Amino acid sequence: MNIAIPIWNDCVSNVFDFAARILLVEIENNKEISRSQILLESRSLSQRADQLKNLKVDIVICGAVSRALAEMVTASGVKVLPFVTGSVDDVVRAYLSQQLDNPEFTMPGYWPGARKGFGRCQRGQRRCGRAGHREV
Amino acid sequence: MKNKEQNVILDSITEGVFTVGLDWRITSFNLAAEEITGIGREKAIGRHCKDVLRAEVCETGCTLRHTMDTGEPIMNKAVHIIDAQGNKRAIAISTALLKNTSGKVIGGVESFRDISMVEQLRKEIEGRYSCEDIISQSHKMRNLFAILPNLAESNTTVLIEGESGTGKELFARAIHNLSFRRDKPFVAVNCGALPDTLLESELFGYKAGAFTDAKKDKPGRFALAQGGTIFLDEIGDISAAVQVKLLRVLQEKTYEPVGAISTVKADVRIITASNKKLDQLVRQESFRDDLYYRINVMKLELPPLRDKKEDITLLVDHFISRFNRLQNKNICCVTNEVTTALLAYDYPGNVRELENIIEHCFVLCTGEIIEAKHLPASVRPALQMDQIETSKPATIKQMEAIMICQALRRNKGNKTAAARDLGIDKSTLFRKIKALDIKPALYAE
Repeated sequence: MNIAIPIWNDCVSNVFDFAARILLVEIENNKEISRSQILLESRSLSQRADQLKNLKVDIVICGAVSRALAEMVTASGVKVLPFVTGSVDDVVRAYLSQQLDNPEFTMPGYWPGARKGFGRCQRGQRRCGRAGHREV
Repeated sequence: MKNKEQNVILDSITEGVFTVGLDWRITSFNLAAEEITGIGREKAIGRHCKDVLRAEVCETGCTLRHTMDTGEPIMNKAVHIIDAQGNKRAIAISTALLKNTSGKVIGGVESFRDISMVEQLRKEIEGRYSCEDIISQSHKMRNLFAILPNLAESNTTVLIEGESGTGKELFARAIHNLSFRRDKPFVAVNCGALPDTLLESELFGYKAGAFTDAKKDKPGRFALAQGGTIFLDEIGDISAAVQVKLLRVLQEKTYEPVGAISTVKADVRIITASNKKLDQLVRQESFRDDLYYRINVMKLELPPLRDKKEDITLLVDHFISRFNRLQNKNICCVTNEVTTALLAYDYPGNVRELENIIEHCFVLCTGEIIEAKHLPASVRPALQMDQIETSKPATIKQMEAIMICQALRRNKGNKTAAARDLGIDKSTLFRKIKALDIKPALYAE
C-alpha cells in the first residue's frame, strides 16, 4: 500500500493544494518498507489528482484541503485523510498504530464529515454546502 | 486599555486580526477572523498560525516571519487561503510587530480582509481564466487538462468542438493564459453573430475609402489580437468567401484589410470553436475541406454536461459560492431533492444552463437552503418522474422502468428512438411501457 503525504520540511504541509512536495511511504503488513520524495509537478488540481493516481497512491494523509481537490482525488479512487498536522514521523507512526484521530494530529476547523471522507453526503441527508457551516 | 475593551474594539472591525507570540502560536483572534477563516477563536487560540490561516505563503514566504525578522511591516499582500468549509478565498494581508510597553518585541500581528469578490470581478472583467477555473472531475475533461499545458506552449492552431454552453471560450482563454502570448491580447469573435458582409471588415479591418462611409482606417480583430490569440467562435457559420480569406491567413500568415493594396503580417494564434461537427459540414460541402484540415491540427472535444454528471454537485457548489460572493447572499446548500432533480435533468444548454438554474434559485431563495420550489419549471418535471428513476431499484422490473424512463427523457419522449437507444425492438418497448405504466408523453418536452 502506498501513502502520500504532502510535506514541508519534516512536517505535514499545512495545505495540500499549495504543497510542492510529497513523501511517498510504502507500507506492507503494517510496516514501513520505503520512503521517497516526489515533486508535485503542477498546481492544477486535476493534474495533482492524476499524478497521485499514476503513482499508484492508495491514501493521502494531508493538512487542509479544498473541497474541489478532495473530491477530484477521491474520484480517482484515492482515499483522503485530511486536516492532519504534525511531524511526518509521528504521523506515519500514528497511522500505523491507528491513532491518527488523536487531537494532537488534528487541525482546527473543518467542515462536518470532512475527517470521515469525501464525496456525497449520506442518503436521506441534506447536502452540505459552502458557507455557514462550522465544524461540529 | 484593558483586555476586555481591546477585544470589543477588535470584534467591531471588519478586518480579521490575530496576534501570535514568539512561538508562532495564536494569542488572540477577532470575530472577523473567525468569519473569514470559518474557525472559532476557541479552536484557533493556542494553535500554530499556519494551521489556522492556511495560506499559500505560510510555508514558503510567511509575511509575518518577514516582519518579525526584518521589522518591516507588509501591507495588503494578496494571498489565497483554504477556509474551514474547503473554499479557496483570496485575502489581503498586512503584518506588524507586536511590542510591549517597554518596546520589546513580544510577537506579531496580522490583519487581513476578504478580497474574493474583488478577485472574482477582476477575473470576470479581464477574463484571466486558467485550468483551475474549469471545474471538473470527469475523466474525459481531465484527459483534456493533461494536454492543455503542452498544447498551450505549442502555438499550434486549435479546434474546440462542443455543444453550446460546454465552456469552449473558457478553454480558449485557458490555452491563451497558459501560452507565451498571455501578456498580449485575447480577442474573441463570434462569427455567427455577424452578418457575412460585416465579418470580413470586422476580422481584417478596412482602409479609408474602401466603401461609402469608410472615412478613416479601422483596424480589424486580427490587428487587435496582434501578438496574442484570436478566438473564432461558431466557425462553422462563416461563408465560403470568408473561409477563403481565413485559409490565406492560416497558410501565409498574412491578410489584406478591405480596400488595402498591401498585405499585413499576422502574428496571431488562431483558436477556433464550433458547436457543429465540422467534419459533417465538410461532407455536406458547406465547409471547405482545406480550411478544415488547417484548423484541425489539434482538436479538443468538450463533452456535454449530461455525459459528465459526476461534475454536477461540484459545479453546484462552485456556482453557489460564486453567486454568494456576487450577490452578497449566504446560501449554503441545496436539498437532496434538488440534487436528485439536477442529476436527473438533461441540460441541453450544458454548464451555462446549470449556472442559469442556480442563478434562478438565488433570485427566489430567501433562506439559506435551495429547495425544490426554487427550481425553474423546466427542471421540476425531472423531479416528479425521477422519484422512480432514482429510487434504489429492488427488482429487475424496477430497473427496467428506470432505464426506460431515462431513455425516454434522452429522446424527448420519442419511443422509436428510445427503443433504438435501449437496443430493443419497438414493440418490446411498447409492451413494457404498458406493463410498467410509464407515461412517455411526460418526457415529450
